[in-house]
Amino acid sequence: MKEIVTIQVGSYANFVGSHFWNFQDELLGLADSPESDQTFKSHNLNMDILYRTGETQQGIVTYTPRLVSVDIQGSLGSVSSRGTLYNDVPDTSVGALTWTGHVTTQTSQPLKKNLFLQSLYVEENKNEGTLRGGNSGTSDRQSEVQDKDIVESLENEVQYWTDYSKVHYHPQSLYELSGLWTDIRDFNNYGIGREAFLGVQHAEEINEKLRFFVEECDRPQGIQFIIDDSGGFSGVGGEFLEKIADEYTNIPVLLYSVRSPVSCLESQSLKMRISRKLHDAVSFSKLSAFCKLIVPVGLPSLSTSRTSKYLRVEDQKPYHTSAVYASAIHSISLPFRMEPLGPSAQLSYTCGAMDVNELVRMLAVQARQNMVTILDVAMPAPALTGFQGQQSLLENLQPLTPETAEDVEDLHALESMTVHGVFGSGDNDVALLILGTSFQQDICSKRASVSEIKDAVEAACAKAVERPRFSHLSIAQCPLPIPLPFPSIFNNLVGQNGQLLDTPISNCASKGSLDVHSVPMAARLRSTNAILPFLENRLGNLRKFGIARGALGTDLLGNWGFTKDEIEEMGEMLSSMVNTLNPVSHESSDSD
Amino acid sequence: MSIKVLNPNAEVVNKSQALHMNITAAKGLHDVLKTNLGPRGTIKMLVGGAGDIKLTKDGNTLLKEMQIQSPTAIMIARTAVAQDDTSGDGTTSTVIFIGELMKQSERYIDEGQPTFLRRSTLLKYYDAPSLYVMVMLLKIHVKRINVILFIAYDVQKNTTKSAGAKHIGFLIKVLHLVGMHPRVLVDGFEIAKRATLQFLEKFKTPVVMGNEPDTEILKMVARTTLRTKLYEALADQLTEIVVNSVLCIRKPEEPIDLFMVEIMHMRHKFDVDTRLVEGLVLDHGSRHPDMKRRAENCHILTCNVSLEYEKSEINAGFFYSSAEQREAMVAAERRSVDERVQKIIDLKNKVCAGNDDNFVVINQKGIDPPSLDLLARAGIVALRRAKRRNMERLVLACGGEAVNSVDDLTPACLGWAGLVYEHVLGEEKYTFVENVKHPHSCTILIKGPNDHTIAQIKDAIRDGLRAVKNTIEDEAVVLGAGAFELAARQYLVNEVKKTVKGRAQLGVEAFANALLVIPKTLAENSGLDTQDVIIELTGEHDKGNLVGLNIHTGEPIDPQMEGIFDNYSVKRQIINSGPVITSQLLLVDEVIRAGRNMRKPN
Repeated sequence: MKEIVTIQVGSYANFVGSHFWNFQDELLGLADSPESDQTFKSHNLNMDILYRTGETQQGIVTYTPRLVSVDIQGSLGSVSSRGTLYNDVPDTSVGALTWTGHVTTQTSQPLKKNLFLQSLYVEENKNEGTLRGGNSGTSDRQSEVQDKDIVESLENEVQYWTDYSKVHYHPQSLYELSGLWTDIRDFNNYGIGREAFLGVQHAEEINEKLRFFVEECDRPQGIQFIIDDSGGFSGVGGEFLEKIADEYTNIPVLLYSVRSPVSCLESQSLKMRISRKLHDAVSFSKLSAFCKLIVPVGLPSLSTSRTSKYLRVEDQKPYHTSAVYASAIHSISLPFRMEPLGPSAQLSYTCGAMDVNELVRMLAVQARQNMVTILDVAMPAPALTGFQGQQSLLENLQPLTPETAEDVEDLHALESMTVHGVFGSGDNDVALLILGTSFQQDICSKRASVSEIKDAVEAACAKAVERPRFSHLSIAQCPLPIPLPFPSIFNNLVGQNGQLLDTPISNCASKGSLDVHSVPMAARLRSTNAILPFLENRLGNLRKFGIARGALGTDLLGNWGFTKDEIEEMGEMLSSMVNTLNPVSHESSDSD
Repeated sequence: MSIKVLNPNAEVVNKSQALHMNITAAKGLHDVLKTNLGPRGTIKMLVGGAGDIKLTKDGNTLLKEMQIQSPTAIMIARTAVAQDDTSGDGTTSTVIFIGELMKQSERYIDEGQPTFLRRSTLLKYYDAPSLYVMVMLLKIHVKRINVILFIAYDVQKNTTKSAGAKHIGFLIKVLHLVGMHPRVLVDGFEIAKRATLQFLEKFKTPVVMGNEPDTEILKMVARTTLRTKLYEALADQLTEIVVNSVLCIRKPEEPIDLFMVEIMHMRHKFDVDTRLVEGLVLDHGSRHPDMKRRAENCHILTCNVSLEYEKSEINAGFFYSSAEQREAMVAAERRSVDERVQKIIDLKNKVCAGNDDNFVVINQKGIDPPSLDLLARAGIVALRRAKRRNMERLVLACGGEAVNSVDDLTPACLGWAGLVYEHVLGEEKYTFVENVKHPHSCTILIKGPNDHTIAQIKDAIRDGLRAVKNTIEDEAVVLGAGAFELAARQYLVNEVKKTVKGRAQLGVEAFANALLVIPKTLAENSGLDTQDVIIELTGEHDKGNLVGLNIHTGEPIDPQMEGIFDNYSVKRQIINSGPVITSQLLLVDEVIRAGRNMRKPN
């Protein structure tokens, strides 16, 4: 088995991660549920890649994500950092055993669990051992009403990423940075984060947590690292990555740097703006130095971007925006856990398995040494109805990476695409799709088979105007399951199984987990020179504010603990990244 | 809650407000932490919003759990945490000392010092009767009653009943002059600090640390620290463990590296089952079902060599034209790993030929299942992904050397342990490497029924280890139970103050009084009457007896007889850093808090 360890650092990263694990939990639940349909039962995805099997001291078997999550103190909301699985003794009965003197108790205001967490708790007590959160469409009337309340409460009340998490975490997974003594808003630059990580014992404790998970792995294929790079956490992550690169030399790190639209708001003061720009430049160059592939994710305005053609996302809600990013990351991670085809495979549900190492090598090592890739997503992916469908699939794939160029020509572009759960071609399907619910069983059988998708996508790519030099395609039949705590972010053109409708069938403005049960997805990682503006902006800002003579940000960088040489080294690194993609600018005489 | 005080909303505050803000914040922290101090302090149970419980008596831990936001309080907290980083203890003392210095300063700054408002000065401008009337009038207008009363008292002696109320304005000015500038206090602090440090040099009890350190004194120091964190019986049990572990890792002529004492914990049994393991305990086990769970007479190979199959850079993934070709590639790549494994097996066969010895590999890098298989078949026990620090510890505990390559393996690389066995608790595995020959590294294995207990013991052990280390390195200890503070105060008041000219005297006095906060708080936490205790203790000191406080009875005791000793370096650090930070806080002119509320999203 080739295990993946996931790391989430920073608030927004955990928002994304929480959704990501909800999808996994939903997949696990659906696979066990007798009511769910065939695609979920035999999805051919090896969940052990992401999950670990453990055992409590009482001998109860546990199945938890192989995850290390780092966040600021108090960010876990109403959830305990030790999780609930491994607590044999109720905490309240335990006094101070080591002290015979006085005990003073200081109790914080207990945080109320929201409706969703309450319902999880109730369900668990009622029915220990069976699957959690199965909303497979056949729930009875009463619980339907209740679900509606839950969804509504989530829409309005989500404050912490734990508020909508339905996953049990291992006690080693969650780590809170304590003793920062700053407001989270002031924890906003690389320097302060780096200091926080290196001071005290945080570094050692976090490393130990990671070691716990890696030691168990027989053949770790990679580390999937999600970081909120908009503030101090990129300093934390940067230093952590450096330790990882040092300790686990052979394990490739796939890094998603995510940020919420909220964090992209422009500041009023010049000083803050400069600090921000320098932070972006510094954190990008530090983060990319210690990973194998970096995927910047996070549009300044997701709601108005072209990705949101079928979505109604509210930019100021991290709960909403992170769901989109998590879906894309889920799709990208599918090939890592597809079972390679054995000789006895009678029916294939997947194709195009690869591991993290292969992905990295394909995109970043083999041809051009560009490690910065663009993440595109089509959510939901359109049906492959003839040529039109094929066209729209590629058209619907829109970037989630900020500051990218459009319509660029790049003869050396490389890409890796994952398409899963899309519907097949055939005229009858359209009718069925529109009729929706009553034909549910039929619809599922109309999901395109792996070979159909393969042919269709390849045909589409062949006809496309801009063709990458090399493209890898992974396909799964299993769509993205929509768990109950998923936000209501679909618009009324999306049907129950994620099919795209020509005419809206209902009047409601946005649809959530109650109306949409699964969604076909397509996501793609692109290594192309469309990323150049992103790189050039960072390089430009670093030069302008940090390196140039009398630059405004020199003191600031000094405060963050960087010497002049380090800054120049970063500048050189960024400029070599630019040059890799854009040799023309330097050797213009060679080209014609 | 006092923590609330630490969270002011002011954006810009002027000089006197700034000063008071600083003083309030310092007092706030002081109030939160003071109940922690000493063997009769209270333990704090913190219940978080999610119902998480944390128990702590350690100032350092408590500070980190607090979400402090006042810049002043953060400054103090950082100083206190830095204190812990450098000397390993004294966080609480630092905070309460700073708090008390600020409190004392506040008294002087607010009240001013009436002795300086001499009647003779005022009489240059006014006749006595008019002064009296002015003072009476002022009494109504100004809040500084103390000052005025004093003047009134002073003036009254020469009073006749005529009036002169027109110059109140001038008198108010005079009163303003009376309030002291903090600068004066700060100068006094500096003098007092230097004097106290000199006094500490004379006062400390030198301890000779030859090749054979005086274990008794080390135990006393360790016990003093541990008893402030744990109940007596457990503290006394851990005293032995802590002292022995430091002596174990100590090498002559080298600084003590406390990292060579591994602190491992198991959620299992009771706190009193905590023990010292001469050798090492690793928090993982072998990952192969056929490997021995218990082995005697073991050769230990400590290495940092990858025994995992990795794809080489050139033969990248997925352009195989056939399954056979892929197989061939994999086989070729596999071979080099196998060769490395074989070299280890060869060494094993060499050293274990003709005897019953066992062979254990402890690797910092990974070992994949096929390699584990090969090793298991050769009868070798193998552990992967050991902590980086354990590489060092293992070599110190077992001997041999840590190797980074298997190319030049010789029997000399190997260490030795009499017993290696595995202990399983649920999904957690522990490997004990014991019965080693001349250990220079050891493990303190903490046991406890729950996480709170373990965390408590861990905090205490950490402090205990530092205390022992400090003693060995300081080659000195200081009498505890407040004896030093009492003696230093007496020295400052009786000797130093006289030599200082002018108002800086007040700084010295404030400093001297602030030192008393330690015995005072000890008494307060023990439920004793602070006033009585201090009077009695200072009385003894005046007689020349170096006594401390008996926290059970409130009587004076001789700390030397009772074996209560503190670390010299901890005391020194507190005396050093307290006044520095206080002076900075007192001299703040203006606090401007910019950058806040600016990035507030919509």
